[in-house]
Amino acid sequence: MENKKKIVLLCGGKFAFKALQLLAYEKFLFGVAIGKGTEIINDALESACEENKIAFKSFPNKASISEMKTWINNLQPDYIFSISFPFLIPEDVLMYGKDKFINFHPGPLPRYRGVMPIFEVLKNQESETAIGVHFMNANFDEGNIIFNDPVLIEKEDTYGTLTVKLSNRVAQVALNMANMLQFASKIPNYPQDENEAYYYEKPQFSDTYINWKRMDSEEILSLINACNPWNNGADTTFMGEQAKIIAAKHCNKPHNNSRPGTIIAITEENTITVACSDNKQIAIAILSTDEGIMTAKQFSNKVNIIGNTFN
Amino acid sequence: MQKIGVLLPRSTYYETISFDIYEGLKLGLEAIGEKDIKIVTENIGFGADKQQCYRSAEKLLLEENVSLVLAFIGHRTAELLRPLFLAANKILIVLDAGANLPNEWPTCANIFYHSLHNSLGAWLTAQKASNDGYKKGAMVTGYYDGGYLHTYSISKSFEDAGGTIFFNHATGYKENDFTMEPLQHYINENSDSAFLSLFSGDFVQWYFKELKSRFSNQNLPIYLTPFGFEETMLENAVFPSNLVSGIVSWSKKIENKENKLFIETIEASGRKPNLFSLISWEAASIVTKVLELLIEQKNNIPKIASELQKFEFNGPRGKIYFDEKTNTTISDLYEVRLIEKNGMSEIELGKRVNNIKEEFDKLCELSLNNVTSAWYNSYTCI
Repeated sequence: MENKKKIVLLCGGKFAFKALQLLAYEKFLFGVAIGKGTEIINDALESACEENKIAFKSFPNKASISEMKTWINNLQPDYIFSISFPFLIPEDVLMYGKDKFINFHPGPLPRYRGVMPIFEVLKNQESETAIGVHFMNANFDEGNIIFNDPVLIEKEDTYGTLTVKLSNRVAQVALNMANMLQFASKIPNYPQDENEAYYYEKPQFSDTYINWKRMDSEEILSLINACNPWNNGADTTFMGEQAKIIAAKHCNKPHNNSRPGTIIAITEENTITVACSDNKQIAIAILSTDEGIMTAKQFSNKVNIIGNTFN
Repeated sequence: MQKIGVLLPRSTYYETISFDIYEGLKLGLEAIGEKDIKIVTENIGFGADKQQCYRSAEKLLLEENVSLVLAFIGHRTAELLRPLFLAANKILIVLDAGANLPNEWPTCANIFYHSLHNSLGAWLTAQKASNDGYKKGAMVTGYYDGGYLHTYSISKSFEDAGGTIFFNHATGYKENDFTMEPLQHYINENSDSAFLSLFSGDFVQWYFKELKSRFSNQNLPIYLTPFGFEETMLENAVFPSNLVSGIVSWSKKIENKENKLFIETIEASGRKPNLFSLISWEAASIVTKVLELLIEQKNNIPKIASELQKFEFNGPRGKIYFDEKTNTTISDLYEVRLIEKNGMSEIELGKRVNNIKEEFDKLCELSLNNVTSAWYNSYTCI
């Protein structure tokens, strides 16, 4: 029987669980560390690791990373994988071995560096994203690229559906990488092209806010999908109150130059149609206000909304 | 001189498989005027040894520095090689028996599949059984053939057409274990049943022999898939029943100038044309197109993939083109029935199947519900 490479997986929670299961099933998993895990997740992971004789360590905060060097040195893994691990790995830990640390970034590199590439690719209306697999250095998402494994984005994908899709795919990509390390005599890799690189900071309110005047219907729908569910929808205001649009779709009707953001009609499917700057309308199905999450029909029952505007 | 790499398998029952694939490719390239391409080969055994497959592909890419690689492998092995081809920025052309389903694995710009469509043939042969009036079905296969997703294709298709599978029989893969005895009781109780059968190579010969010896006067309605009708195997397979029919992806009997040239060229080289020389002969056209695109698109793989998806050509099976969703070639399939020649089996070619692309799309939209094939073996390589 072949001697499997010993892999430690650093993760940040649920997103990496499929990868954990698959690497464990294929006998590559040697240790698991979780960063900023909740008590329930930590306990569940710890018992699963214990049952399967896999080392476990929790790093609840940035300060606790100082314990990582000793932990890894004691375990002596062949490689360390990182999937959505929330902390930067310090240089003294990385010194454990050159090209031993591999990150699985949920976006194509170098164009989508940063903490929430799933939001950014959806907002930017990309038709494809990727799991960017790269050797790690002391900066976030910057080491040499091994490969970008492409993942298609469907028109109706939301942040939630794409996250699930990427979580499923990252499991297979991690296994593919483990097999590569097991069988390869050399791992091809290349430096990231800094001219193409962009680091996206964590989205702020201004990034999730619908600008009805400037954004066309496609941009608005993409933003709504990109904000569902993590931001509870894309931000807007209605009659001076904050609101969030959670689900909407295309409505193939022009609106004859109404002011962008104006509510045009309530449809038979119980959506409300809203004018956009490109003379198209979008049909909102679900939104939330201070009163809670509601269907467009429930929203329309509150006040006479026709002719009022989202700002 | 450009260099291309080929990963060649071996098979116990198709002993000449690697020679067939190599010669088909070489003669196919020559037939389209490409004489300055060097073919470098590596052996991958049955395709089941992951290390051997990976190392062989790695050697072709990183040591031989080939422009592209062809490999007679399945989807699972292609997935194993995927990171290597992504990392090396190279194209892999899978010579695919089509025994699994393309939607089991995601596509990428670096991997294209040239298929013999056994699963699509299975899908269509089950429809044929239903159209012939059968509502009851028995699925008959072996431990080896049954491990690929064409089993799902044939049974799902029969059920979708309104039929019900009442009986499943998977026999052993060694000659001593190979038996159709369990069918005896079922046949006595269900004389109005179609036998949806999945076999390849020697197993086809053993299957026919068993049918002949156990059910010789019963004319059982047997439905087979393209690899069940592989003509070099049929030459030595006893004629089992007057009601054997199904679907083929290619036959020596297809009449067009491309098939005539293919058969004459292969025979002139002293070999018998078969599905393996066919698939690599056809792949020669894809190879020349990819080599042309590598220069034209300056090794930009997504752009090459996008152009290749539009590429079509005429081969011995008729027009061949790509399905853009799965990067898989689509080609004609034909209805056939088995006829007797001196006590042995031969096919009689029937009509071309209509709506191939629509049927392929339906097959690819099948919800797999965690159905998976764990075989790494290239199909027919055991």
